[in-house]
Amino acid sequence: MGIINVSNATFSYGEENIFENIDLEINPGEVFCLFGPNGCGKSTLILCMMGVLALTDGQITLGNRNVRGMKPPEVARIAAYIPQSHEKPFPYKAIDIVLMGRTAHTSTFSPPTPTDRRIAEEAMEKVGIIQFRDRPYTQLSGGETQLVLVARALAQQTPILIMDEPTAHLDFRNELNFLEAIVKLVKDSSLTIVMATHFPNHAFYFEGTGIKSGLALMNNKSITIKGNPVEVLTEENMENVFNIKSKLISYTWKDETLKQIVPLETF
Amino acid sequence: MIIVVSLFIGRYPLSFSEVFTALGFKLGLVQEPVPSTHLNVVWDVRLSRAILGTLVGASLAVSGASFQGMFRNPLVSANILGVTSGAGFGAALAIILFDGQTLFIYLFAFGFGLIAVVLSYLIGTTYKATPTVMLVLGGVVVSSIFSALISLLKYIADPFNQLPSIVFWLMGSLASARFSDTLIAAIPMSIGVVGLLLMRWRLNVLSLGDIEARALGLNVFVAKSLAIFFATLATAGAVCVSGIIGWVGLVIPHIGRMLVGNNNEALIPVTISLGAGYLVIVDNIARTLTGSEIPLGILTSLIGGPFFIYLIRRTKARGW
Repeated sequence: MGIINVSNATFSYGEENIFENIDLEINPGEVFCLFGPNGCGKSTLILCMMGVLALTDGQITLGNRNVRGMKPPEVARIAAYIPQSHEKPFPYKAIDIVLMGRTAHTSTFSPPTPTDRRIAEEAMEKVGIIQFRDRPYTQLSGGETQLVLVARALAQQTPILIMDEPTAHLDFRNELNFLEAIVKLVKDSSLTIVMATHFPNHAFYFEGTGIKSGLALMNNKSITIKGNPVEVLTEENMENVFNIKSKLISYTWKDETLKQIVPLETF
Repeated sequence: MIIVVSLFIGRYPLSFSEVFTALGFKLGLVQEPVPSTHLNVVWDVRLSRAILGTLVGASLAVSGASFQGMFRNPLVSANILGVTSGAGFGAALAIILFDGQTLFIYLFAFGFGLIAVVLSYLIGTTYKATPTVMLVLGGVVVSSIFSALISLLKYIADPFNQLPSIVFWLMGSLASARFSDTLIAAIPMSIGVVGLLLMRWRLNVLSLGDIEARALGLNVFVAKSLAIFFATLATAGAVCVSGIIGWVGLVIPHIGRMLVGNNNEALIPVTISLGAGYLVIVDNIARTLTGSEIPLGILTSLIGGPFFIYLIRRTKARGW
């Protein structure tokens, strides 16, 4: 039994199915990449996992409870969410944003306690962004903003972290920096991570750092194949899902044999 | 402080000691009889006006700040949701139907204020996930419908008794303040202001948008409804007793943002005090500037409009 179980999940807007008959089992302590082309329904599936959208059919359990019957604060104490892009409505300080991770731990008419503030500061230290504490987060770069959101998720103190293409708007260095932060968190605090991505090599990256990693390939409204990165990211699967020729290459770095899949041409 | 100062200002000439004696008599501290006109001026007119101004200013300002936060739009205020014109229509209707009985004016203004918000909200939720723009558009539609209805009421109102009282009331004034009125109006305004004050940290979370707020563990529908309820209660209470006073809900929160930033934890209390102080000062100007009193709503618009342009120009470079 996984910490997240998706069984026979179908979601539709009106007549059209966004995805159908999806089965997934995500185990505790695993980094699970949900991989697929744009518009394949990854984000929708993630919102269903968070209980923000309701499945048309099937069910999703979070820590053995059907997410359908859970109240928002109950979900938020099990799973934290990092969105793909984050609109910045007002120039809050970075610490104010991180503090909002404590919402599920405070009641309607009470502000956060000093304990909540301490937890928020610790989360920022853990992610290594405590120096941005009092900066308006509208002045932070894309990479720094994502780290603020990671700190916010940590302040939520959940066993699960769900991310929707968190590196989509980051440059080369910031992307790597972000992945390193995630790896450190998984190793330090045995988080379970679900991450939608359209970079297949993220899965290889996690595997290369020695973290238990799983991967599901989502295409044509359903999961085409799932397993560990080596089983899923084959030249044959790239051809079937993306219609591209690709090459799986191996290289050695610090005495470890690592893998990457490199796109070559479309056809 | 400002309340105390306004006790000594006014058209009716009273010396400092006369003001003190009048106050002392009312509080049982002074035994010798005081001229009843002095009592009236100090107690019923100046003090109750100052208290009313405090409440109305705080209500309008805090509801503006809250609407700005929850709709993630620094350019909205209570007027946007149609609360003001809804309440205005309700009160005007009560003036015509029930000959201006106080109780009915309150009930109708409050009822129609709420109806206006609910209508705006329903229009806004035609599409799933309540997008902010639709809500604002809904408010604009509802607001213009109620404005038209107010004009209709003015057209059919009895031109000798009802029309003047509707027109003067709509211009916005604290002149109606008597101690009993102030007490009745204080109830909805206080509930609204205190409610928003308690919820102020949640307003931060709401401003992140529905999906993120929900993922952070906020029951968005309940929190938004509560915040709208409190803000409407405060606004409708203010409109009931003082008519339509514009611009306070837009300008004051922005001054607050310039002073303490955008975190509602600090902004909401600051907005409440600024709004209260501002309205009492403007009211003092309104009743002393000329021989006959200038309606307060006209003054706040005259001051607020240009000041807002100045604010926009100043903050243009730095965002909000």
